[in-house]
Amino acid sequence: MHKQYSNKWQILVFLLPALILFCGILIAPIGASLYYSFFDWNGIGAKTFIGLSNYKELFHSNAIGFMKALRNSLLLAALSVFLQLPLALAFALTLGKRIKGERFFLSVFFMPVLISTVVIGQLWLKIYNPDYGILNVFLRSIGLDNLAQIWLGNKKTALGAVFVPTLWQYVGYHMLLLYAGVKSVPYELREAAMLDGASDAQINRYIVLPYIKPIIRISVIFAVTGSLKSFDLIYVLTNGGPLHSTEVPSTLMISMLFLRNRFGMGSTIAVLLILLCFGFALLINAIFKEEN
Amino acid sequence: MKNTGKGARIAIYIGLIFWALINLFPVYWMFTFSLKNNAEIFGENVIGLPQHWLWSNYTSALKTGHMAKYFLNSAIVATATILITLGVALMATFALTRMIWKQRKNLNKFFMLGLTIPIHASIVPVYVTLSRLHLLNTYWALIIPYSAFSLSMAILVCTGFMNEIPRELDESACIDGCSTWGIFLRIIVPLMKPAVATVGIYTFLQCWNELMFANIFISKTALKTLPVGVQALSGQYTTEWGPIGAALVLATFPTLLLYVFLSKKIQDSFVAGAVKG
Amino acid sequence: MKKILALVLTLSMIFALAICGTGTASAADDQTVLTMWCIATESDANRPAYEKAIAAFEEAHPDIKIEWEAFENESYKTKIKAAMNAGTDLPDIFFTWSGAFLGDFVDAGRVYCVNDAYKPFADQLPEVMLSNSTYGGDHYAIPLTYNIVTLFANMDLLGEVGWDHVPETYEDLTACCDALVEKGIVPFGCAGKETWCVTEYLEPIIQKTIGYEALNDIFSGNGTWNDPAIATAVDTLQEMISKGYFDPNGMALGNDEVKANFIAGKTAFYQNGSWNCGEVNDGVANAAVGLFPVMDAEKATYGQVIGGPSDSLAVTASSPNAELAAQAAFELGKEICHYGYLAGSGLPAWTPDYDTSEVKPLVADVANIVAASDGMTLFGDTAMSADPANTYLDYVALVYGSEINGTDFVEGLTNDLG
Repeated sequence: MHKQYSNKWQILVFLLPALILFCGILIAPIGASLYYSFFDWNGIGAKTFIGLSNYKELFHSNAIGFMKALRNSLLLAALSVFLQLPLALAFALTLGKRIKGERFFLSVFFMPVLISTVVIGQLWLKIYNPDYGILNVFLRSIGLDNLAQIWLGNKKTALGAVFVPTLWQYVGYHMLLLYAGVKSVPYELREAAMLDGASDAQINRYIVLPYIKPIIRISVIFAVTGSLKSFDLIYVLTNGGPLHSTEVPSTLMISMLFLRNRFGMGSTIAVLLILLCFGFALLINAIFKEEN
Repeated sequence: MKNTGKGARIAIYIGLIFWALINLFPVYWMFTFSLKNNAEIFGENVIGLPQHWLWSNYTSALKTGHMAKYFLNSAIVATATILITLGVALMATFALTRMIWKQRKNLNKFFMLGLTIPIHASIVPVYVTLSRLHLLNTYWALIIPYSAFSLSMAILVCTGFMNEIPRELDESACIDGCSTWGIFLRIIVPLMKPAVATVGIYTFLQCWNELMFANIFISKTALKTLPVGVQALSGQYTTEWGPIGAALVLATFPTLLLYVFLSKKIQDSFVAGAVKG
Repeated sequence: MKKILALVLTLSMIFALAICGTGTASAADDQTVLTMWCIATESDANRPAYEKAIAAFEEAHPDIKIEWEAFENESYKTKIKAAMNAGTDLPDIFFTWSGAFLGDFVDAGRVYCVNDAYKPFADQLPEVMLSNSTYGGDHYAIPLTYNIVTLFANMDLLGEVGWDHVPETYEDLTACCDALVEKGIVPFGCAGKETWCVTEYLEPIIQKTIGYEALNDIFSGNGTWNDPAIATAVDTLQEMISKGYFDPNGMALGNDEVKANFIAGKTAFYQNGSWNCGEVNDGVANAAVGLFPVMDAEKATYGQVIGGPSDSLAVTASSPNAELAAQAAFELGKEICHYGYLAGSGLPAWTPDYDTSEVKPLVADVANIVAASDGMTLFGDTAMSADPANTYLDYVALVYGSEINGTDFVEGLTNDLG
């Protein structure tokens, strides 16, 4: 058995398809992006080596606004962790207790996850439409005309307006992840606590939450890296506008690559984005380990 | 629910119903405005059921928008991606969890890097690679990158499931003279059936939505996927909401319908991934 | 479980069928296939012109088949750049904007020089029309139609406040707008979501303040933005905004929506490219065209216009049939221009050799304006290369959003672009 399972060639054969796919499509492009990030290059002409200038410019130039884009995506990540996840957790804890309509609520809450992001974006574009959108129509109908806004066209409201559907869509995703954890808590543990006279809140606090901590960790990692990577919905809703107020690193990268023909700079953002996602994943892991 | 007071229980239900409405209302609104003309959508009848059921919006979406074809394309790409991801991930997981070699823990960590890499960051190099392989403008231009980006999650889920299969099975098969491939195909893979659904759902969620790759790697109308089609159609009908609504419904309802029938199965599989992963 | 397996099996069968069915269609063995990418999607005003031109071409050349794909404008820009970057899987013929957009591709050696192919057509296509796609003295593209920024007016709405012609001086324009505002009619609509629409307003004002030659120099990099007169021009636009001449909702709308508002009679004016002539002509019962009035009579005249030939076809250097493709591109370009002109989606870069009596009245009016024009400045975002053009567009967006004033605009652009 041991001998059969230690055959180097067999191991390689089993791993080869995954390695080719993974290295060819994920790892090699990172290398390529890193290489391009040291050049001034318009994507089609000659490349000029400029060392770290792209990185310096990215952090210092107000015109590019990378710091603002970064701040936006960190804000989204924070909202995701401190607003979206608690909401998802609350639903998971409530629905995990075998209440009436559990299946119905579970299904309805998970539904937005299954709708294509482009569809959700287009739908919310209509919801936010300043003239005919359901939101302004509603506000006007209850006499709050002065609250009606050009939601996606106003620099002050656009970021919030973009965040709402982004956070809304994935509440169900995290809820179901966490619900899985809540359901996996052994019934005997709950029962024992109940016999000791523990309230619902106490059971959640001292039994369920510690038990599902590994899943919370996964949820936090997905929420944070997902926020840092977020692109599709913002692309459909505002593409970074108005006046760059909803720019995030991904939209900035695409506009560097394909709008401004700055492939070197676009690659620089790609590299930083990967580092950032990776760094945060490590950080969150470390925080959760610390707590144990 | 035994030791919850009546007031608290009502509050909980109000909260749940409120959130359910927030989730259902946009879908309801989308469905009704897909059957209205602009006059109704823009004032006469904003949230009610359509006064005149305007099915012609659907004809426009299907004819001008080619929505049926785009849906089929998306289904083809998603299915192939799921099958490939599954096959590749099962093989890799087998080597990572059952076979015996030194660096396997590290390689597993290496694969987990993929969970954090943003898909858009690799767009240009992947384009160049695909074009050198002459795969642009084929389904493979999407299937290959989508599979690659789904791989990490699939390995994570498969590892959870495969670790639960008792090793004694391998031992006894080995004693019966089964080769490694034999063990993999005849013992392990059949026992991994529950993982199929779970990996399928996670992979589906990953590739059903993707817009940027689909937009750049495919230029033939005949091969475009749903997100690209919906985006293009709404660019064409900016001022006429009905046909856009129809396209949104066409892009959404088949999935939702399937979900209504299979929701328990889908949720259970999703949940299985979370617990095992 | 079984349901899902059944589903997977069904879908994989569909997949197998579809894979089998994707063989490329219908080119007979003895035909040469030329591929073409363009932006004439099914809803595009130019679509019929392309369809007619291609049908006519294929009828005249039974040995050539044109396989063409149309993409939505914004995604096309991304697509053609990605393809040019990789240098493979390019079509034989592609739609392009002249100026700096094409210039980058030419510099990289991706575009086929059409000097030789041009010779037989020289008497039908004036060489001046090729000037925006001429690099280092060589021609690289075939212009289709050309366009200028036009001030469209709804004369019925103007009539309600007592105007029977498009105002031709700034005093008249403000008087007219004030009267419109008084009556509750919004004078202008401008799409804030698409910054190029804002330049359709700002560029004419700058041009009418500093003159077409000075603006040409700035766009081509030979002049400087550091001119207080530009700040005055920007302040003029912002004054118009603050006086309520512009629909505030325009900030969140796209151009199609703003145009629809004008055609539906919600705004009295709409300043945009002359490619809208056909649509405005057919959609507004009583429409008229004009130009933005002169701001500084010492430097500019009413007849100076923003625009020029930009929409073009070009041939890729990597095309295996480049010579044939170039010839085809000229023939197609001529016909697309012909049908586009008749449909009102632009002015003819090619000298018409057909019956022009059916040209739409509004198009004819714009053609007369151009015939009498005193000078032309190419659209700023076409003339400048991608990076500075987008920096410029960023500042224009800030102006429309009233984030900066004229002085900030001049200072910022002087610092960033010189």
